[in-house]
Amino acid sequence: MSESDADLVLRARGGDLSAYAALMARYRVGLGRHAVYMLGHRLDAEEVVQDAFIRAYRSLDRCEQPHRFGAWLFQILVNRCRTMRGRTRRRERLVTNEPAAEAPQSHDAAESIAWRDELARALGRLPADQREAFLLHHVEGMSYEEMRALTGARESALRMRVKRAADRLRAMLRDVYVG
Amino acid sequence: MSDEDRHAEGDARFARVLNELRRPIDLGPEIDARVLRALREDPRPARAMIAGGPGKWRRSPWGVAGIAAALAAGIAAAVWIGIPRARRAGEQRPAAGATRAVEFVLRVPASRVSLVGDFNNWDPEASPMVRASDRGVWAVRIPLAPGRYRYTFLIDGARWVPDPSEPPAVENDFGTPTSVITVSYGST
Repeated sequence: MSESDADLVLRARGGDLSAYAALMARYRVGLGRHAVYMLGHRLDAEEVVQDAFIRAYRSLDRCEQPHRFGAWLFQILVNRCRTMRGRTRRRERLVTNEPAAEAPQSHDAAESIAWRDELARALGRLPADQREAFLLHHVEGMSYEEMRALTGARESALRMRVKRAADRLRAMLRDVYVG
Repeated sequence: MSDEDRHAEGDARFARVLNELRRPIDLGPEIDARVLRALREDPRPARAMIAGGPGKWRRSPWGVAGIAAALAAGIAAAVWIGIPRARRAGEQRPAAGATRAVEFVLRVPASRVSLVGDFNNWDPEASPMVRASDRGVWAVRIPLAPGRYRYTFLIDGARWVPDPSEPPAVENDFGTPTSVITVSYGST
């Protein structure tokens, strides 16, 4: 049985980096998705996820509910993404982690990459507040109450952002839908 | 489920968008390794109090200086993200010759597409792209060592097109619009 977040946080507070490594492994994927879609580029996403992990470790004493470490960490990431958006961003295509090889990729894989590029471009054209609200609600599955607590925005405003983002995405991707 | 939720979820095509977005994205365990290296090199906590026993806290021996250091930690972290990636603590350059597979994909109506750039001496014959679907998708995968490369696509041997996935970047030596790709260190 895997160790609880609360137990790992307590061990990490005492300087046990292996405990913190277990927490990072547990939450890296969730953070990566939000960062990639908020920032649009893998390099920027890697940077904010790494930064969020470091900041979280150095602030572990301020994690008042260790059993909710994941939510606390996610809030740090959301804030880091907002900060990153204000800076000039580097540009990098999503890069595979596979060993370099010259073998041609499958047609399905290329089509999938093209589709994801279109999707990422459409997301990138949304105003940042709408993109954030849309991702938190529809991708991360947060309730409006949870979003209100995380962002500080009013629920009515969040609902409007989500709706406008969905409408705009639907319009932008109308000609791209395939299959 | 609210009205807007039903509106979003009820559209079968839009559901495909949501399914795609909900797929997990793993940026790789290299991030964990870099964080651990950074924390080992500088395990400084961002606080002015340190543990003094079970359930107790005592003043940091740093006193006021400790508090200032803790406050500075936040500033340092803000500055840290502006440091070039290859120079950051805990980040290592890959071994000489290490490369990453980079996929270039372009959707364009054409009968022939080539990828040209700094990595192939702008040779139109070096990296021909393969037609990846009947919907005008072309693709090629090439190994690249970490670094910064200018590139563009050559359509039907005559038309130069920058990568629409990237913003218009720079002019190359021949006045052709190009894009720029940065292959990062530390994620090989």
